[in-house]
Amino acid sequence: MTIIPFPARSTRRYGDPVVTQAMSFEDEQDDAVRALAARLVAGDETALEEIYDRWSALVHTYALRALRDPHDAEDVTQQVFVAAWRSRHTLTPSPAALPAWLLGIARHKVADARAARARDADRVAAVVSLPGAHDGSDQSVDDDVAERLVVRQAVDELPDPRRTIMFLAFWEERSHAEIAETVGLPLGTVKSHVRRGLIKLHQQLEGVRHESR
Amino acid sequence: MSHADPDQLAGLALDPTDGPEDVRDHAATCPECAALLAAFTGVRRRAGADALVAPPARVRAQVLAEVRAGDPAEPAAPPVPDELARRRGVPLWLAAVAAALALLAGVGLGRWGTGGEGAPEAVVPPADTGTVVAAATLTALDSDADRGEASAVQSEDTFTIRVSATELGDAPGVREVWLIHVDGVRMVSIGLLAAGDDGEFAVPMELIDEGYRIVDISVEPDDGDPTHSGVSVARGELA
Ligand SMILES: [Zn+2]
Repeated sequence: MTIIPFPARSTRRYGDPVVTQAMSFEDEQDDAVRALAARLVAGDETALEEIYDRWSALVHTYALRALRDPHDAEDVTQQVFVAAWRSRHTLTPSPAALPAWLLGIARHKVADARAARARDADRVAAVVSLPGAHDGSDQSVDDDVAERLVVRQAVDELPDPRRTIMFLAFWEERSHAEIAETVGLPLGTVKSHVRRGLIKLHQQLEGVRHESR
Repeated sequence: MSHADPDQLAGLALDPTDGPEDVRDHAATCPECAALLAAFTGVRRRAGADALVAPPARVRAQVLAEVRAGDPAEPAAPPVPDELARRRGVPLWLAAVAAALALLAGVGLGRWGTGGEGAPEAVVPPADTGTVVAAATLTALDSDADRGEASAVQSEDTFTIRVSATELGDAPGVREVWLIHVDGVRMVSIGLLAAGDDGEFAVPMELIDEGYRIVDISVEPDDGDPTHSGVSVARGELA
């Protein structure tokens, strides 16, 4: 009998076309992520290590922003990757699924941490009295944070010179002409990198959103 | 004009005054291109987050230690999605009732079927009715929407999975029926729903006893790939 991996709970909505739209965006990086996900599902511990090395900063930063407590953020990060390992059979090996899935687990662990806090009256009081701290229960704020972090990681992972050009354009708000001068590339090339970079970020963010549904 | 090139829309998202006039006009009136432009603008707005903060190295070590130690309190990995686990108790009574009914039918057959005289027709079950030893309510995976039912039927020397599904959708491709092991790792295909949403599949009884109890219906594209497509439209656990 053929033994093949468990079909993960698909986040594709019932009735949708079978051929995934993600196929059209496929590139080498996507293939690598898909292979990594498949290895995790198959129970390969080294895959978990690679996944941790690539996405623990994303998960940790998300938890840090949501909980505003370094200790709790560490706890949540640990819980997320242990839970990811234990529930690896629920992962669909599609490129955007890994970060979306990890963020989904993180969202639950953050909610658990908040519930634990709510049971601790002293800490609730401490959190509420912190000036500027949001009450920590607004999911749309969390989701926006998650999306910004996904975009940040996507830019971090771009190959140079696109990565540098994107940082100069989006983070330092430099004009295309200034960037062209800084990196020593023709203006048209810089414009093209920024446009293509924006399209790539959009695709990655859409992938994560799609898988989060 | 046809739809604007994404490259040009990306250019517009970066600088609304950039690009040829016809592209700008099109993006202002075409809902699809306007949506893509808005999406690009949204991504641009989401750029600017501070650098990601890696967790301290000890967290990595703790994760790996915890994973390697396993968790004796829990059975390996959650074998099935939470929703399924939650529903697990439901089919039990259904199976019990079904089994009891089958048993009654069997008794009826024994008493009246061989006695001959005055046997009420209604009590004699159809010849192909075996004993329902387990049943499953099938539901969609992303909701609790009903997708029919499946049962495991034992008759004298055969063992059959009967599937009576509903609303499997009209996505292109064939509907394939699988038995997934409760360990969440192993699975076997038991056949295709060749005509409509109902089907019967003879299977070795050991499969069920070994734990292949989750009935899953997938949509399989015509791509020659014998493995599960990953697109499941119905699932339920035989209990
Ligand atoms: Zn258009």
